[in-house]
Amino acid sequence: MSTHAAPAPTVLPAAIPAAPAPAPQANAGKALGIGLAGLALTALGLLVPGNASAVAVAWLVGVVFWTAVAIGMLMLVMIHHLTDAGWSVVLRRQFEHGISGFKWLLLLFIPLLVASWLGAGDIVWPWGNLNHVMHGGHTVGHDPLYEKKSALLNLRTFSIVSVAVFAFWIWISARLRKASFAQDLDGDAKWSAMNHGTSASGITLTALTLTAGALCWIMSLEYHWGSTIYGMWFFSDCIRGALSVGLLVQLWLYNRGDLKGILNKKHLHSIGMFMHAFTAFWAYVAFCQYLLIWSADIPEETFWYNLRELNHDGSTNQWWYVGLGLVFFNFLVPFLLLLSYKHKITPAKVAPIAAWILGTVVLDLVYNIVPVLKDAHGDPQPFLSLNLVWIVTAVIGVGGVFAWSYLKSFASTKLIPIRDPRIVECITYHE
Amino acid sequence: MSQVQTSVATQAILDEVKPAVLPRPVLVENNRSHAWITDKVCGVIEGKTPLWWWICFAVASAVASCSVIGFAYLVSTGVGVWGHANPVNWAWDIINFVFWVGIAHAGTLISAILCLARQNWRTSINRTAEAMTIFSVACAGLFPALHVGRVWLAVLPGYLFPAPNANGIWPNFRSALEWDVFAVSTYGSVSVLFWYVGLIPDLGTLRDRFFKRGDKIRSAIYGFFAMGWRGSNRHWVNHEMAYLLLAGISTLMVVSVCTIVSFDFATSLIPGWHTTIFPPYFVSGAIYSGFAMVLTLLLPMRAIFKFEDLITAYHIDCLCKITLVMGTLVGYAYLMEFVIAWYGANPNEGFTFVNRTFGLYSWAYWIMFTCNVVTPQFLWFKKVRANFAWVFILTIFINIGMWFERFVIIVTSLARDFLPSSWGYYSPSIVEILTFFGTFGVFSVLFLLFIRLLPIIPMAEVKSVTPQADVHGKHS
Repeated sequence: MSTHAAPAPTVLPAAIPAAPAPAPQANAGKALGIGLAGLALTALGLLVPGNASAVAVAWLVGVVFWTAVAIGMLMLVMIHHLTDAGWSVVLRRQFEHGISGFKWLLLLFIPLLVASWLGAGDIVWPWGNLNHVMHGGHTVGHDPLYEKKSALLNLRTFSIVSVAVFAFWIWISARLRKASFAQDLDGDAKWSAMNHGTSASGITLTALTLTAGALCWIMSLEYHWGSTIYGMWFFSDCIRGALSVGLLVQLWLYNRGDLKGILNKKHLHSIGMFMHAFTAFWAYVAFCQYLLIWSADIPEETFWYNLRELNHDGSTNQWWYVGLGLVFFNFLVPFLLLLSYKHKITPAKVAPIAAWILGTVVLDLVYNIVPVLKDAHGDPQPFLSLNLVWIVTAVIGVGGVFAWSYLKSFASTKLIPIRDPRIVECITYHE
Repeated sequence: MSQVQTSVATQAILDEVKPAVLPRPVLVENNRSHAWITDKVCGVIEGKTPLWWWICFAVASAVASCSVIGFAYLVSTGVGVWGHANPVNWAWDIINFVFWVGIAHAGTLISAILCLARQNWRTSINRTAEAMTIFSVACAGLFPALHVGRVWLAVLPGYLFPAPNANGIWPNFRSALEWDVFAVSTYGSVSVLFWYVGLIPDLGTLRDRFFKRGDKIRSAIYGFFAMGWRGSNRHWVNHEMAYLLLAGISTLMVVSVCTIVSFDFATSLIPGWHTTIFPPYFVSGAIYSGFAMVLTLLLPMRAIFKFEDLITAYHIDCLCKITLVMGTLVGYAYLMEFVIAWYGANPNEGFTFVNRTFGLYSWAYWIMFTCNVVTPQFLWFKKVRANFAWVFILTIFINIGMWFERFVIIVTSLARDFLPSSWGYYSPSIVEILTFFGTFGVFSVLFLLFIRLLPIIPMAEVKSVTPQADVHGKHS
């Protein structure tokens, strides 16, 4: 992160000592209510006969999306510490609240594991059931490709990996939060040093664990297919989600008056530049993956894209338009809009762009996850179907729980890291 | 939304809150004045050419002659003088090309991406890094141009340049090799332009100083290239805008060039080459090798010219940390290649990686792994980063490792291709070895000339990050 800031001025903005009362937590109950309602509505889908897999996959989309947001926040907190950034101190505090949600996300992930263990095993991941019939008539258990991957793709290893990566994120988040919040109380620079050290080792392990998560939870849905760049693709979605949520939260707090005199246009400009850069990064990763697979034209790789383009009878399916939509809506639209300086610094313009990016990140995850749901011919179930309802309710449901966790954490500490060594730089951040 | 609001809240508020104190490192040590910076940097050019420079120049020229002789022999005899033979029909030519192109990436990254990210510490080192970029691109360009054997064909239509040859055949526009021609030539052009735009204010300073010293010839030469620079407000506004635009363009170039170089391999079907992580892997590898080379060049230069106040320990620390990050990213790419080679369950892919690790070329693999993955881990330790002799040694290892990375990728995949009956073992000929060795001489000759003729530290930019230049008047 850039650290362009004015040297410490002799005065502080008036808002600092006031550290406005953390009133936003009053909305915590409301958020939890919305969350539980969303999850309950998603679960209602189980009442529709033969709909269990669709509900479980939608649940996976919801959990993975908010986990991606939390991972992005965790990465950005660590990048902040490692680069000793000044401008992003206040933003970092919002991320520190966000990463409190990992334990609840794990709790919401566990039903998927339980359903896999207790059911036939293939409610989400086809390889979970050795008797699962693959396209072509053979079962997973008789699939030579599965046999070679079975050391990883079995429910026991999968469950251990899933819980382990969440456990790591919970632990490192708690460590980073504890040191940051402790500094609010005693103003000791040792906490900054401690978080610097935690981030140095933590960022490498987070990169590895998020890759493990992406491979196990998403890529293994089509376990015949593999891509070495997949972890980077997931990383780009994580960061884009985190930046967008962070920006929206900051603006919400500003509009409430909490960040008046603290947040300025330059902060928005910098967040906007990061959103812009990572929009380009997502496009770069997605394009490289597509181009290299298209160019080599090897059936064992191209089938992943073919599934998202053609039905078994050669007709174009709805996923083709989703894929095309990602090119325009997930890349081109935000990229062009964020080129403008004014769009980045004007709250009324940058907020819709952030919300748009959040929506398209969900769409990107949907594109990668949901085609695992197949019809009788082995074609992916259509994008525009009842499944979309469960996806929306699941994303809102998990989001409500995530917001509740954020607001609970918000109430537990100062609005901004008032004793961070770079707090003055942050508040006086300017061109 | 408000612009920056600094209220009239008093120092008492600050005293009450008492934020933690963690001073930022200064970018110019000992509170040096602007005049001192000008004298120090221009002194290198204005002073008498030292004896060490002549010795180095003579040695570098001698080394460079190896390339000249090697290429002359190649052109007069044919590509058979290189060690290529079935199945390894691509070896040191492309390896050396990718090696030098990789090194070329750090300069533009420091100048462009760090400029856009407003990392002020880059100012002391960007000039040297940019020079390194240009000279590396020149060395890289030699290989594709000369590997055609009859070098004049390289510039004729139908070989490298996009025009039909005598038989009316166009180059294949779907080939990444053709994209390379565009990418590398554009990158070279933009890098030269970027470097030159940054030089203009400093060339104006040199013009004025030589004029004052009565050296009208040198004053006229520097004045010609300074393009009438007067340092007026209007000049600075235009200069800053041009620099920013070029930084934006160069940023795209940094990423695109190495991506396209990676496509040379990844668009093929060869096991070990066709993998989706190659584009970011090549970009991070290029930055990694480039930063290692920047450190290799900067550390002796800093000691020789006593630039400790301008290229501080903090600068070296930052460079080391980026080197560590990039080395770790490269390690991540190595890991992902192995993971997906196993996960993909493709026997050819799996064999390739087992062969790399334990086959005939395993010695090269382990040199690569040790130099690229193990070596940078020492940079986790602050004591190592602060010990410049150690840093210098580590960067040499990284440079070696990055050359071996390209060797491992290219040769091991080709030497054990799909047809076991055609398997072979590639060894370079003495002509190849000497030609490559000579490019270090070519690079050194150009770099030594740069040191003598141009300001190696961008004076104007360094002055802009000193406390004296702070508009808030915080200088002591």
